[in-house]
Amino acid sequence: MITISRPMRLGLAVAIGIAGLMGARQIAVASDHQDTADVELNPKQDMTDFYAFPTTAGRIALVLNSQPFISPSTTATASFDKNLLYQIKIDNTGDAMEDLVFQITFTGSGASQQVQVRGPLAPTVKGAMQNVVLGADPVVKGSINSILGSSSGIQVFAGVRDDPFFIDLEQFFRILPDRRPSTGPLSTPSTASASAFRPAGQAVDAVLGANLAAIVIELPTSMLTAGGNAKIGMWGTISR
Amino acid sequence: MSLLRTAPLLLVAVLAAACSDNTETMTTTMDTTPRMYNQVQRLGNPLVSEVFLAKRSHALHGSTGPATDVATIRAELVNFVATVAGRNATVQNTLATVLLPDMLIVQTDKDPATAGWLSWALANGYGGRKLTDDVVDAGLMAIFGPLLDPSNVSPGLTTDNVASDSPFISGFPYLAPANP
Repeated sequence: MITISRPMRLGLAVAIGIAGLMGARQIAVASDHQDTADVELNPKQDMTDFYAFPTTAGRIALVLNSQPFISPSTTATASFDKNLLYQIKIDNTGDAMEDLVFQITFTGSGASQQVQVRGPLAPTVKGAMQNVVLGADPVVKGSINSILGSSSGIQVFAGVRDDPFFIDLEQFFRILPDRRPSTGPLSTPSTASASAFRPAGQAVDAVLGANLAAIVIELPTSMLTAGGNAKIGMWGTISR
Repeated sequence: MSLLRTAPLLLVAVLAAACSDNTETMTTTMDTTPRMYNQVQRLGNPLVSEVFLAKRSHALHGSTGPATDVATIRAELVNFVATVAGRNATVQNTLATVLLPDMLIVQTDKDPATAGWLSWALANGYGGRKLTDDVVDAGLMAIFGPLLDPSNVSPGLTTDNVASDSPFISGFPYLAPANP
């Protein structure tokens, strides 16, 4: 049996850390050339929208949507990426840094996948890079595509839903072709071919009938303002 | 952190390892080392990346946080409003100030009935973003229309003429069930 000493383990950890950083840098360089081709190739990393709205008195719902254009035929087996860390970050002190985070992770695969939700808690590491999963146990966990938790506390749903967004993306890319994807039917226009949107009746909602992977968390609003201001700023992230 | 700077540290660690007689398996090590995650996607306000930033800048937006937005993407956002949309400083500065740092702002002490994208800035309301908000039209109206300033508007670009089609449900989780 190969045995490895404690300091050797430190050396390995450092080496692995360096390898991780170098790997991330290569990906970043590649992204500078092809931009979201990276996300196109890995649609589960593609965050589409973030919502926050009041529900019943004193409660707020947060929605982190990802993985656009799940077709109805693959909906039954669609799942999240268990190698990704999905987070909702909350700044309640006005400095644009997260004071609290929700961390959402997944285990298993396919329709039997399980979700774990941690937070809202102060993050171990702030900022965009080198985030780690909180040491605390999940506050809510269970199967995807089901309503979990408590309607008076933290309630969670993670699963496939209809994409709530709506936009004439085809015409948008005719007006601003720089933003178009690298592959697929929307990738063709390379120069601007329109200067106005299409009139009602001709305009087409590009996400009509499409599904996506939604994470919905509802909780008492006071849990987000605790220790801070009534005015809060929030954003969703996906990390790997 | 550059490899050059960490190389001496690595060398020290490996040398130290050669002198030890502690015995534990590597598997244990891997399990106790916290995995680190680097951000690849981020979204606070809708449209900030998609509309204002050139595609080459999307990865920068996706790998950074709101705290550096004013330093890193404000100039590009302002430049889009000035050159592509042809709008004056009032529109440029209002949009930059409201959208950056790129966070979805909620004034939790305001009337929930006033919830809606940017209502915190436009009407001192609750803010946030509802599922039914037509954020594309709201954004287009601010960028190309007379919402913030009457001069040099582009009437053909103030709405994309599509409306919400989703049969949202009144209770949790609010989003409509998946399309069969």
